[in-house]
This record gives sequence, C-alpha cells and structure tokens, in this order.
Amino acid sequence: MTSLSSSAATARATFMPSSCRARPAGGRGRMARLVTRAAASSPKLPSGRRLRVAVVGGGPAGGAAAEALAKGGVETVLIERKLDNCKPCGGAIPLCMVSEFDLPLDLVDRKVRKMKMISPSNVAVDIGGTLAPHEYIGMVRREVLDAYLRSRAEGAGAQVVNGLFLRYEAPKEPNGSYVVHYNHYDSSNGKAGGEKRTFEVDAIVGADGANSRVAKDMGAGDYEYAIAFQERVKIPDDKMKYYEERAEMYVGDDVSPDFYGWVFPKCDHVAVGTGTVTHKPDIKKFQAATRLRAKDRIEGGKIIRVEAHPIPEHPRPKRVAGRVTLVGDAAGYVTKCSGEGIYFAAKSGLMCAEAIVAGSANGTRMVEESDLRKYLAEFDRLYWPTYKVLDVLQKVFYRSNAAREAFVEMCADDYVQKMTFDSYLYKRVVPGNPLDDIKLAVNTIGSLVRATALRREMEKVTL
Amino acid sequence: MAMATSTFSPPASQLALRRQPGAAGRYHLLSFPRLRAGLRLARAAAGEAPVEAVEAPSKQVVEQPLSSPAASNGTAVKAKEPEPAPLPRFRDSRWVNGTWDLKQFQKGGAVDWDAVIDAEARRRKWLEDCPEATSPDEAVVFDTSIIPWWAWMKRFHLPEAEKLNGRAAMIGFFMAYFVDSLTGVGLVDQMGNFFCKTLLFVAVAGVLLVRKNEDIETVKKLIDETTFYDKQWQATWQDESPPESKK
Repeated sequence: MTSLSSSAATARATFMPSSCRARPAGGRGRMARLVTRAAASSPKLPSGRRLRVAVVGGGPAGGAAAEALAKGGVETVLIERKLDNCKPCGGAIPLCMVSEFDLPLDLVDRKVRKMKMISPSNVAVDIGGTLAPHEYIGMVRREVLDAYLRSRAEGAGAQVVNGLFLRYEAPKEPNGSYVVHYNHYDSSNGKAGGEKRTFEVDAIVGADGANSRVAKDMGAGDYEYAIAFQERVKIPDDKMKYYEERAEMYVGDDVSPDFYGWVFPKCDHVAVGTGTVTHKPDIKKFQAATRLRAKDRIEGGKIIRVEAHPIPEHPRPKRVAGRVTLVGDAAGYVTKCSGEGIYFAAKSGLMCAEAIVAGSANGTRMVEESDLRKYLAEFDRLYWPTYKVLDVLQKVFYRSNAAREAFVEMCADDYVQKMTFDSYLYKRVVPGNPLDDIKLAVNTIGSLVRATALRREMEKVTL
Repeated sequence: MAMATSTFSPPASQLALRRQPGAAGRYHLLSFPRLRAGLRLARAAAGEAPVEAVEAPSKQVVEQPLSSPAASNGTAVKAKEPEPAPLPRFRDSRWVNGTWDLKQFQKGGAVDWDAVIDAEARRRKWLEDCPEATSPDEAVVFDTSIIPWWAWMKRFHLPEAEKLNGRAAMIGFFMAYFVDSLTGVGLVDQMGNFFCKTLLFVAVAGVLLVRKNEDIETVKKLIDETTFYDKQWQATWQDESPPESKK
C-alpha cells in the first residue's frame, strides 16, 4: 500500500513538469487516475525485475527519453551509432527548451535576438524588436547538445552503447520480450565492422531520426520529407560581427519553392542553407540562389562543410505498434513553415518516457500499447494547435512569390512579431487581444490582396 | 555614384560564385536576351524619360544618362567574358534609398499612384528574373500599404467588380426569363419562392468563386487541402483496436 502510493507520488512528480505545465489542475487529476489504472491492469514483472527499454538513437529525442526512463527506475539501454555525430541541422532551440530541460547556458553558442526576413524583391524586415532582454533563440551545435543529453542519461543510470541498430523481432507471446539485433562497435577490440549482438527488452523507443530503421521494422509507413541542404561557411571576422545576434531568412521562388533559405550563425561560422519538398533535384540551384542573395555578407568566406538531411513534413501514419513507439524525427514531429524539430524531439522523448514510467509504475510492471498511446494522445493534445497554425501559415504564405511578399510585409507589424515570438519561444498559441486579432486579419487580407494585384500587374510587364 | 560602384563586386565574390558557374551563367544568359528585347520595347512604349535613360546602360556600367544604346550593348558583350559576371542590378531614378521617391511621381500636384504601382510591379518582375544580393546599406524598405486603398480599388477591384456584376446580371436576366417562360411565375413572385432564392444564392456564389475554368479544380483542391494535414496527424489513431481517446 505504502509502496504503491509512494510510486504513484513519484510517478506524478516526474509526469508533472512536461504535460501538466499546460493545464495544471486537470492534468494532475488525470495523472493520478492514469497511475492507478496502469498499476491495476498490467501484470507485475516476474521475479521483481525492472522494466527494460531500448532507446534506439542518441539525439535529443533519445537522450531525453533515456534520461527520463532511467530516472523513473526503468532499465534503459541507449544505442547510438556515432557518438561524435554532427547531425546537419539549423540548430535553433527555443527559450523554453533551455528551462524545461535545464540546459547549461554554455551549450548555447549564440543568442539570436534579431532576425531579418527578406522577400523575393529584397524587401527586408527586421524582427525581434519586441523581444525582452532575456529572450532569444538559442543556436547550438548538435554534436555538443546531443553529447550533453546522452551524458546526462548515462549519469541517471542509462547504459549508452555504441552500436548500429539492425532490426528487432517482435515477441511470440503477448507478454514476451523484443529481441534487438545490433552491431556493437568497440574501439578496443579493433574489429572494424563491429560484432553482431542481441539483447532482450520489453519495449523499444525509436528515436533514430528521419531514416528510422525502427519505423521501417514496425511498418510505420512513410512520410513526405523535405531535403535540407546546408553549407557551413567560415567568413571573416568583420562580416561575422553582422551575424553576432542576427539570423536571416530568405523567401522566394529562386531560393526555394516551398521552404526558405537561411543564414544562421553558429559558433564561429555561419550556416547557409535551403530546403525543398517538391523540387529536390534542383536543390543545388536553390543553394546557389541563397548564396547569391547573401553574397555581400558572406563574401570571402570559405566553405568548410557541405551537408544535407531529410526533414519530415508530417507524422508517420503509425506511431506505435505493440510496445514499440517512435519519437522525434522518427515519428515526424517537425513543424511546417519553420521546420523546427529539436524541441519537439526532446519533448516527445521526455513525454514518451514519462508515459512508460507511469504505465509501468516506475518500472515494476509491464507496459502495454495503451500506455504508449497515452503519450501520443498527450503530445497531440498539447502541440496540435502549434502544428496546425504553422501548417496554415505555410499553406497561405509559402504559396507563391506574391504570398511571400505579403508575408514579409506582415512581419513588419509589431503585433505579428509579438505573437510569433510568443508562440515560438514558449510553444503556446495565445489567442491575444480580439480587437488586435481582427486588425491583424484585416491587414493580412489587405497585404495578400495587394501582393496578388501586383502579381497580376507583373505578368503584364515585359522587361 | 557610391551606390553604383557596388555593382562591381570584388574578385572574392567570383571565388564564392565560381562553384556554381553553370547556375549563375544560366541566370545571366536568361536575363540578357530578354532585357535587350524588353529594352527596345520599353523604349518604344515608355513615356517616362528619366527611366529610359537609366535603363539603357544599366547592365555593368555606372549610370551615364548620355551613353548610347550601342555603347551599352558593347559593354554588355564585354561583361559576358569575366565568368561568372555579376548580374545586372535593378536601377531606377525614382527608386531612392530602398523605396520609391513619391515626389518623382507627381502628376498635376497629386501623387500618381498608378505609376507607383506600375513601377513596383516592374521592380518585382526584374528581381524575380534576376535575383539580387541584398545589402544592409541599400536596404529595401518599401511597404505597399503606403499606396492608399482607393488607388488599389480603382485599379484592380472596380474592373473586376464590373466584370462579375455584368456576369451576374446576364445570368440573372436570362434565368428569370427562362423560369418565367417555363412556369409563368413573374420576377417578383420568383423572389418570394424558396427554391428560386436558393438558385440565386448558388448563382452569386458561383460567379464570385469560379472566375476562370481552372477555379473549379482550385476550389476542390482547397477543400481537400484544409483537412489533409489533420488526416495525416490522425492516421495513427485509425488502427487503434479499442477506440480509446480519439484526437
């Protein structure tokens, strides 16, 4: 009796920070009900052993999941194929991630406080004037962030294994174990390819990114994806000063037909890149156009690295199958319009882990698919408005050059900037003042109408 | 003068662009024939003297209002040789400090907004065909909202409204006649009938939404589009065995 209530209390304590922050009163009540339901229905693990979970992939999603699992009393194994991987990434994290995940401030290479939005006709709008002094968009290096989260997971008790996940076998009986096959890399024994090993777990969390093998094995289905192409350019110091706290975003058909081109500052260089969903073969052309638009500011720069990676556009059709679930990019949690994925990866990993911990009553009981679906339901409920709003923005404003001109024009408005940053930095969709919203709607329609009218005039012009 | 010299990009930029000579060259070749042809057209059609003089040598040379077309063509040929050459920048004497100088658009004391709209359309078209590098010194700050609402109305809304009202009137007259000839119900009595009112609503909506043949497809696609993303997110709940917490 006392152990149940204390485990319930600890489960509640771990569940609280992430999902209950949104709705404290309702959430708390629901959490208490969750714990008792799970504890009553799922069978206790044999011979008092703890629940074993494999987290495949050691990025933000995997690291956050492994740490929360280990803290919750679950025996966790984190498999990562390349411990020093520099995953190609924009590297922007919102303010709430620093506080929610207790990230040390030295992880953030640069604090971006000013953004420049540049339209197809080079109308440049500065946004960020509405930011408070303590607010910023953090730019991180992925290799640094990922390594930090993994080390925290290890500190909490997770076992970090350097290996390549090959496949898993589903259990033969209802409460059987999953068998994970992987290639174990051990620098000490000198074997180049690694040796094939297996181990048994009760549940698998697929955090292995956009080309997830876990997703393939579980038949999760495919998603549409964008190709993000990026060149890291080392520019002279005086030019770097311009990008001290500034990131740039270029929109236009020349730069990308359905995404945007960017110049993001990193620790001592800038990342110039672009992306597309529909015109992937032309990505080099778009990259050249992006470099042209930023020409004056990256002149004299040396390209030190060229990288590309797929970015999912929407979640996979199936995100859970049996006791296997997906988090992060593997699940497809990247927003439209901005292409942001790091925060949602880490958050989904955390929420998934918390659902497993609660469903297993701190690792003492077996979890079921319904427990994993609870994580999906909670994640969908919390972030659906954010995703939907960004989808609508992308559909409306990335349609054509005219729409992009209107978009940049709208960004000059202070109210728009405030709403955008509020929703980006804190991941909440705040309704705001209704009168201002009506004014915003009218201005948006006006901008779109003007831009479309100019577009029709443009078609009549022959230069 | 200072602004124009920025077109001469220092050699370092050639290094950066050299990686993609094909792409830059492609832009280059695309723009030149059109520009030259367009210039001839513009010269024939344009009534604005200051624009003409600046356009002619706009390619590589510093603004020289007196240079002849032959000289500009000559410099154009020369400019093709350094590969990749910088693309022609947009130049207009009324485009000052990144925005349109409204004082130069005066017509009879008031600002000629139609000319502003034309100039901005031309500028956007130019930049769409030859995208330019941005620079903080020559920041573009033009906002289309400085053009008053009635200028937009007069130019774009009124002709369209006239066309649509004309269509609606033609349909309305013909349908009223047709229904009257079939049923003997006059116009006033038709307006009192619920079915006729529904037809009227459908006709008005149709005239407003379907203006070109392609609009029918567009409307259908739009309806699909609004719910597509939602369906992708809910896909994982479709195969749930006991229908639990639905999104």
